[in-house]
Amino acid sequence: MVSSNGDARAAIRGWLQENVTGGRDVPDDEPLIENGVMTSLQTVELVAYLEDTFGIIVEDEEFDEENFGSVDAIARLVESKAA
Amino acid sequence: MSARPEFTLHDLLHNSVARDASAVAVVDGDTHYTYEDLERESSSLGAALADAGVERGDRVGVLVEKSWEAIVAMVASSRIGAAYVNVNPLFKAPQVEYLADDCDIRVMIGDTQKLEELQPKTVETAFYRGAKPEGHAARSYVDVADAMKGEGLKEDRKVSESDLGTILYTSGSTGMPKGVATSQRNVVVGAQIVSTYLENTSEDRILSALPLNFDAGMSQFTTSLRAGASLYLLRSRLPGDLLKALRRHEITGVTGVPPLWALLIRSARSIRENPLTHLRYLANTGGRIPQANLDELRNLLEPAGTKIYLMYGLTEAFRSTYLDPDEIWRSSPEQGNCIGKAIPNSEIMVITKEGKEAAPGEPGELVHRGPTVAMGYWGNEEATRKAYRPNPLAPPELLDVERVVYSGDTVKRDEEGYLYFLGREDAMIKNQGYRLSPEEVENLLLGSGLVHEACAFGVENPAVGQDVIAVISLKDGSGGDSGEAIESIRGYAIKNGPPYMIPKEILVRDELPKTGSGKIDRKGISSAYANG
Repeated sequence: MVSSNGDARAAIRGWLQENVTGGRDVPDDEPLIENGVMTSLQTVELVAYLEDTFGIIVEDEEFDEENFGSVDAIARLVESKAA
Repeated sequence: MSARPEFTLHDLLHNSVARDASAVAVVDGDTHYTYEDLERESSSLGAALADAGVERGDRVGVLVEKSWEAIVAMVASSRIGAAYVNVNPLFKAPQVEYLADDCDIRVMIGDTQKLEELQPKTVETAFYRGAKPEGHAARSYVDVADAMKGEGLKEDRKVSESDLGTILYTSGSTGMPKGVATSQRNVVVGAQIVSTYLENTSEDRILSALPLNFDAGMSQFTTSLRAGASLYLLRSRLPGDLLKALRRHEITGVTGVPPLWALLIRSARSIRENPLTHLRYLANTGGRIPQANLDELRNLLEPAGTKIYLMYGLTEAFRSTYLDPDEIWRSSPEQGNCIGKAIPNSEIMVITKEGKEAAPGEPGELVHRGPTVAMGYWGNEEATRKAYRPNPLAPPELLDVERVVYSGDTVKRDEEGYLYFLGREDAMIKNQGYRLSPEEVENLLLGSGLVHEACAFGVENPAVGQDVIAVISLKDGSGGDSGEAIESIRGYAIKNGPPYMIPKEILVRDELPKTGSGKIDRKGISSAYANG
């Protein structure tokens, strides 16, 4: 199991590049939902990936824009859960 | 109770103000706005738009994300006899510029960031939300916050129900969106019809989860306005935000498209533990809910008293049919995709290729007749004549003045009069609730300058409706690494098109197969793809 913050950040960015942005690197603070980078269904796929990769569970109420608004925010959530 | 007859969008406002001016009309974030606020601020903005030169019959662009300002903009436009054009917030600059040109938008109300992306002189005047925009998208700029606080209209302009109320843009087969010209009467009657069958009252707290540029999304606002209900604006489409909004505001009614329910179901555990007892109805539109999801939704919501409406609508006629919640069992794998019966005050005909009414069980084209039949496609005679035709079943004594809408959808009717959706006659793709023409995807890919030929089509995927797939040939067909070219094309598409238009898969061929007449063989290519 991977659990350090740097790994979470890299994994999220890698997943976004591969599945969402067509290779473009996404800055850690870019608003993902607001700027229309990611659709809600892609976010669902990302959550499934993070749950598998980091062995965490994202609760229903946590699956919101506050926690999924940017690479930074997602990494913080993953880090707090994997710690 | 209704002090005035309902002819225009702002008649609906004035009646709700007369009923209870202090009632909450709109909730945006943590801010509550009353009907009195809506009356006052739409009057101020209306006066400012008139000052900026907006005449009766002009189009006003609304390029702000779903917000209080977007709501006020619609009502303000109506009060001065102008038509509002709600722009899809997912559109990128090329589509916005196309729209502004297509229906000659000279005044645009927009978010600063969106306005700054536009080419110089896209519009005459921009009312901006945010900091004053850099650049020259408009010749002059007005702060919309000031405009909404200024002196109001002395009185509303003289507006009739036959006036243009709004233009609803939908995906077009020319490769760019086409605008459905919708009258004040279409908008008002649509609100009357929908609020009748959803039984909306001033007690309702309605969640606005769909974009306002979409007919069904606009309908949450117009029905709420007519009923004097409260509308809660939800911008996020993440399941946690949806769930929290439903709970926190004790929402009584929500309308959405199938992918939204997939997100709601994700919160099944929480809903089972703590049922949504306030939710009176859930209404679906924009495609069929996958059966497994419909079963799950029913299990989760019906025990707590929620009624589930399955609706079918065409932008060209606003809304067409709904299935009574008590009859929801009729939509099943055995029975098929039941879309119910015509909405009140409207008629749905099933017309065969010979132009006759189809017998029960016989497939035919869904043809809509009634007061929501729109005025046609803006500036597009060919498409208008194709879709808006004389009523095929009118008595000959009535000549051919009345227009009905030919939907392009194939349906059948059973012995009891219930309609079942069978398929579409054209190649329209349904992705995440968006109706998308393949030509628009192809046009976007060609815009990259790297693509020689493109063919887009939809492939069934119950989670999203259909996935968008594109098969292309490259301008520089000298073999080499096409992977790099695909990434460049995808990057271009993401930058210049809305997310639902980006192909899930882009495949490169040396050449695309053609039909006998030399056109790209979309049917052949898509069935070759389906067969692996």
